[in-house]
Amino acid sequence: MKYSQQLVCGALCLLLLNAATAQQNQPSIQQLLREPFLDDYYSNVVYGYEIVTDTQTHASRYVGNSLNCSNCHLQAGTQPDALPLNVAGMYPKWRAKNGKRNGIGLRIRECFLYSMDGIMPPEDAPEVLAISAYVTYLSQGQVMGAEPEGRGVPTLPDTGYDPNPANGRAVYMSQCASCHGQQGEGVADMPPVWGMNSYNKGAGMNNIREAAGFIWANMPLGQGKSLTHQQALDVSAYLNLQIRPADPGRSKFLKLLEYLIN
Amino acid sequence: MRSWRTELFAGLVGAILVIPQGITFAYIAGLQPEYGLYCAIFVTLFCSLLGSSSMMSGPNTAVAILIGAAILPLAGRGSPLYVDFVFLLCMMVGVVQLVFWLVRGARIFQYLSPAAISGISAGAGFLIIMASLDSILDLSTFKTTFFFEKLFVIFSDAKDLVNPFSLAIAVTTIVAGYVGRRFSPRYFIIIAVTAGYLCGLLVAFIWPQPVTELEYLGRMPLQWLPFNVPTINMEYLMIASTLIPYAVAIAFIGLAQSLVIVRELKMETDQDINLDKEVYAQGVANFLAPFFSGFAGAGSFNRTKANQSLGATTPLSGMAAAGFVLILITFLGPVLTYMPMAAMAGTLFIVGADMIKLRDIKHYAQVRSELFIYLATFTSIMFFDLAAGVVVAVFLSVSVFMLRISQLDLKVETSAAGTVIKVKGALFYASVAHLTEKFHQYMDEDLTVDLQFTTHIDQSAVDFFIRESKGMTNRGKHLTLLVNESQQAFLENLGISKDIRQISL
Repeated sequence: MKYSQQLVCGALCLLLLNAATAQQNQPSIQQLLREPFLDDYYSNVVYGYEIVTDTQTHASRYVGNSLNCSNCHLQAGTQPDALPLNVAGMYPKWRAKNGKRNGIGLRIRECFLYSMDGIMPPEDAPEVLAISAYVTYLSQGQVMGAEPEGRGVPTLPDTGYDPNPANGRAVYMSQCASCHGQQGEGVADMPPVWGMNSYNKGAGMNNIREAAGFIWANMPLGQGKSLTHQQALDVSAYLNLQIRPADPGRSKFLKLLEYLIN
Repeated sequence: MRSWRTELFAGLVGAILVIPQGITFAYIAGLQPEYGLYCAIFVTLFCSLLGSSSMMSGPNTAVAILIGAAILPLAGRGSPLYVDFVFLLCMMVGVVQLVFWLVRGARIFQYLSPAAISGISAGAGFLIIMASLDSILDLSTFKTTFFFEKLFVIFSDAKDLVNPFSLAIAVTTIVAGYVGRRFSPRYFIIIAVTAGYLCGLLVAFIWPQPVTELEYLGRMPLQWLPFNVPTINMEYLMIASTLIPYAVAIAFIGLAQSLVIVRELKMETDQDINLDKEVYAQGVANFLAPFFSGFAGAGSFNRTKANQSLGATTPLSGMAAAGFVLILITFLGPVLTYMPMAAMAGTLFIVGADMIKLRDIKHYAQVRSELFIYLATFTSIMFFDLAAGVVVAVFLSVSVFMLRISQLDLKVETSAAGTVIKVKGALFYASVAHLTEKFHQYMDEDLTVDLQFTTHIDQSAVDFFIRESKGMTNRGKHLTLLVNESQQAFLENLGISKDIRQISL
């Protein structure tokens, strides 16, 4: 009995060691980009990296606004607390958003539909497969089924006050408008945060708490966590009130009916 | 003055026809749709610039299917590596076709019998229909060995596999296409696509995309000059060596289709067509296609037919078609974004069904060997793939040809002077056997062989005569050859011995 336990322990140690070395042996993206020839997996990883950093060029077929994936998944999806992409081990899982079991593919396709305000790519679209490969690459070394450190955005504690969009407007104008523009249109390479070129009403960023967590942890860019929780909530509420594309997950026919009945 | 306007209009119709084809064939080849459009622009342009006929080239079903079959085992669909390999393969196809041009290989395609060509075309139509089913029913890619397995899986699992929205749009498209053909045989493809598009808009209006899971064409930012330098290094060359059989097959199938079209054009119109020049044009176009982000193409049956029916007779219509594709996509881009792939697949279904013609089977049923070639080619494409079908077609055509040519027309006339055997046909290693039988039949007589109507004599026939004459001298008989002057010189060159009497006429 004791002997067998030792054996199991040894095997586990070996496995862990292997996992650790596998993580170290995985070439970095910079290395991969320099390689003249890549196998199928790594060529898809590099393609996925290119799509995430420059969605406008590499996946323009399915994109409807002027955002890139890396506008929210900062540092090409490697920065903790900024929606990092090392989550392959958590899928498939049930999500309340569409009320069904989601694979990583469906999750990526919905990103195109909502956050990129485009159309859903088919299941076997090369772009979806490439991003899946990139997500898998980033998830190397994570424990299956467990939440990676710094997943998603931090949940802000209850501040005791309701979010105040008027105060949010003041904060936005002083802290954010220099990059995101007075009208939220985005300056130079910075992404638009509202208007018809931004994410639509079905996107996760349109959720006040989610956006507040992201803003508090990462905004202004490079000076994350400089705003107070309440300021982040206020800015988020202000953004939520602005005009943006409609939720493509809702039937236009039903909307028309609602409009006609009212 | 009037003729160039005809050509331009034919070009416009060709451009409208090629857009759905380019997109769907790119899909079949495993590529993003813009590559199909670049192929529709640049391959069409180069083929028309360098060729001599009004044939419309561009994306081609059989070529697209073969590209997909060649590259899918090597890389993920549509990934950059995949695209690189496709470009590599297309350059190889161009090189093979240029080698064909250098050896004046266009002659070979004269041996491909019309029945075999119809069989290949019908088989390709069947493959198009099977490929279009994926998009019509919105199946995610699944592979089965034989087509009936796929049909069985679809029927037995229809509830889970088939997307009713997609099916409804595709059926609308197909029905509109067949109804539209009654009213306007020229524009029915456009009618079908429009009906499918409107049906798609209606579906999208009522149900949101997460519910329908419909696949749309998406945005296509087309560049006016998509210049691209294909990657070539040692590893790619290693891969290239494994792709050689596919490159040869694609080059051969592409040329076979193009030359069949050109031969038809030559018969039906009075264009001054040079087959070798067409081979050259195809080769250069396919070699240059990767430099303009396109994949290889070939002549297109349906677009050439449409072109011909509109009265185009010069390569200008092809060049115009290339230009119109660019203009149409630039201006129609936003409209095409919400084009459902099911509507595209519906038009593809119609194109595929048109390629299987019952008329052909009736036509070839008159001659048994032709019918056999047709059916054998068609079924081998159904059960295996296009490459197997072409191999079968070539093998059967050549063997029928060989059987015919190795049959000698022998006439025996017996008179007081001896027996005269008149030989008609080619006397060579395969046909000597027939003559041997006759020789053995008339063993005890003086023989005269009349070679005046013999088209070809080779070394083995001469050896045969020497051998037989030796045997006959031993038996005390004589062999006489009736030859004309050039044949006499030829026989002496081949070392015929003096004991055969030759009478020159």
